[in-house]
Amino acid sequence: MRTLRRIGLYVALGLAALTFIYPFLWMASSTFKPREEFGSLALIPDHFTLDNYRTMWARAPFGRALLNSTLVATTITLSVLVFGSMTAYAMARLRFRGRPALNAATLGVLLVPGQLTLIPLYTLIVQLGLIDTYPALILPYLFNATAILMMRQFFLQIPQSLIDAARMDGMSELRILFTIFWPLSKPVLSIVAIFTFMGSWNEVLWPLLVVRDEQLMTLPQLLTVFALGGGAGSVGVSLASAMVLVVPVVIAYMFLQRNFIESMAGAGIKG
Amino acid sequence: MPSVSFDHVRKTFGEMTVVEDFNLSVADGELLVLVGGSGSGKSTILRMVAGLEEVTSGTIRIDERDVTALAPRARDVAMVFQDYGLYPHMTVRENLSLGLRIRKIDPKEIDRRVTWAGGMLGLAPLLDRKPKALSGGQRQRVAMGRAMVREPKVFLFDEPLSNLDAGLRAQMRIEIGGLQRRLKTTTIYVTHDQVEAMTLGDRIVVLADGRIQQVGHPIALYRTPVNRFVAGFIGTPTMNFVEGSLQRENGQLTFAAEGVSVALSGNMSTDGRSEKVTLGIRPEDLRVDPAGDSAAGGLRGLVVLVERLGGTSHVHFDVGSRPHRLMASVTNDRLPDVGETIAVHVPPQHVHLFGADGQAFSRST
Repeated sequence: MRTLRRIGLYVALGLAALTFIYPFLWMASSTFKPREEFGSLALIPDHFTLDNYRTMWARAPFGRALLNSTLVATTITLSVLVFGSMTAYAMARLRFRGRPALNAATLGVLLVPGQLTLIPLYTLIVQLGLIDTYPALILPYLFNATAILMMRQFFLQIPQSLIDAARMDGMSELRILFTIFWPLSKPVLSIVAIFTFMGSWNEVLWPLLVVRDEQLMTLPQLLTVFALGGGAGSVGVSLASAMVLVVPVVIAYMFLQRNFIESMAGAGIKG
Repeated sequence: MPSVSFDHVRKTFGEMTVVEDFNLSVADGELLVLVGGSGSGKSTILRMVAGLEEVTSGTIRIDERDVTALAPRARDVAMVFQDYGLYPHMTVRENLSLGLRIRKIDPKEIDRRVTWAGGMLGLAPLLDRKPKALSGGQRQRVAMGRAMVREPKVFLFDEPLSNLDAGLRAQMRIEIGGLQRRLKTTTIYVTHDQVEAMTLGDRIVVLADGRIQQVGHPIALYRTPVNRFVAGFIGTPTMNFVEGSLQRENGQLTFAAEGVSVALSGNMSTDGRSEKVTLGIRPEDLRVDPAGDSAAGGLRGLVVLVERLGGTSHVHFDVGSRPHRLMASVTNDRLPDVGETIAVHVPPQHVHLFGADGQAFSRST
């Protein structure tokens, strides 16, 4: 009876998992199908082909877009980690005049929806003459209040005696941050890294506003312009370009998965 | 030449004064213990020497050099923390050597010092482990090793034993004492445990509310506490206190409280004070006669509790009409039973008297 119930449970869970994974697997396999096979729900193509990818690559500068996206997302992620953790360290562990105000201001930033700052930010970028440049894509995202607050919360839990010991050992504050705090904060650093990277990687609206030059477009932007603009011509080509967008994020997730789940689980346990 | 000296050192946190006009010098090679309850300012003083806490006003000198404004790394002091402060992601060897590597000391010399400290503390087999894989006592040794390899002018210990269990604490106390005597490095040791203070210290500084109460050799503090706080703080079990007044009849000075009368020795200088005094007597100085009558200078007590500890026993008894609860340490084979009446002799030479302000009366010798 117990075994039976267990089997039933696994079947139900398996089906639930399938409803999530199937559309993704279908999309992945369809990119390798010729046009005639799109009607089929099968996951294995009858006639394997790379034509969809060839067409996509030929019609728009996807290689360049991949490079642009990587450059933009990597720069933003590194900056959020490095400068964000420096800010978080100061806010969590240094005593200075105006610290409570800084904490409140950082929290306040979270209350302002992104849509509200979109227009002022756009005007600013225009005024600075940065339209159609990399800085236009990167500058607004170099700092992130959510990331700072997450790191600050984590840093608050590191014992004061570690900082004291490090100062006695002769370390500067920067060195304490990077050689003591960073190694001890892997869970929060990886979750911040993956959220920032994914956020930047998937961003469409902002690049659409500030970049018109096809050579500077990010992957999702080019994809949107390409697919919605009818450049793809077929579902297969559209899906192939979507695959190019999604694969790097999946790979990044696989690398960071362990830390990711640890910190998601830890978030509920640690007081 | 003093190794560390404090000159009118003061520390405030906002409105609150934590350390008030602290003046002291620590001799070269001395082990000085700062002892006091929580909030007495002892840890703050230590952290000011380390440079981890800013000095509000006053001067701290190490080997005659004014270090008041220097960063911790420029002071040539090493510190052992209560919760050890070991870097969890580094091995014991890395923990020991990090401070030396930062100071860019020759790797061969680093190796020599790590091996030396590791051997001295019995850490040699643990050098490649991480702190998580060590016991409390071993972590404590690593923390001490990290201070030793620096070969600093001054060691600072901040309640290093309070996270250990009683047995290990006694053992590590002996190790720290032995180590300090061998290295002859000037040491300032903070603790709230007066037993640690008594057993380790060349001199003890008793602190309360950020002020020095008394400085001196452990036995001097035990024999002649200058005020009631020190008298109650130093010595276990705690000194008995009875509040009453002084009377002088036919040249004989007597302490009196409700139903209690104790003859005092003639050399107690009362300075004309007689109102409201407190008599203090240590449990180990009381002489208990289980069956006897109360002789001169004696008290009659009703036994309410007997704690048998093996070698000595604690006899708790009530005296007087109020009554006052006192305690005597007894090593007799014949212990009184609860409910029995005992005669207790109070040797006049061991009596301490404290005025209404808590200050001890002096004795003319």
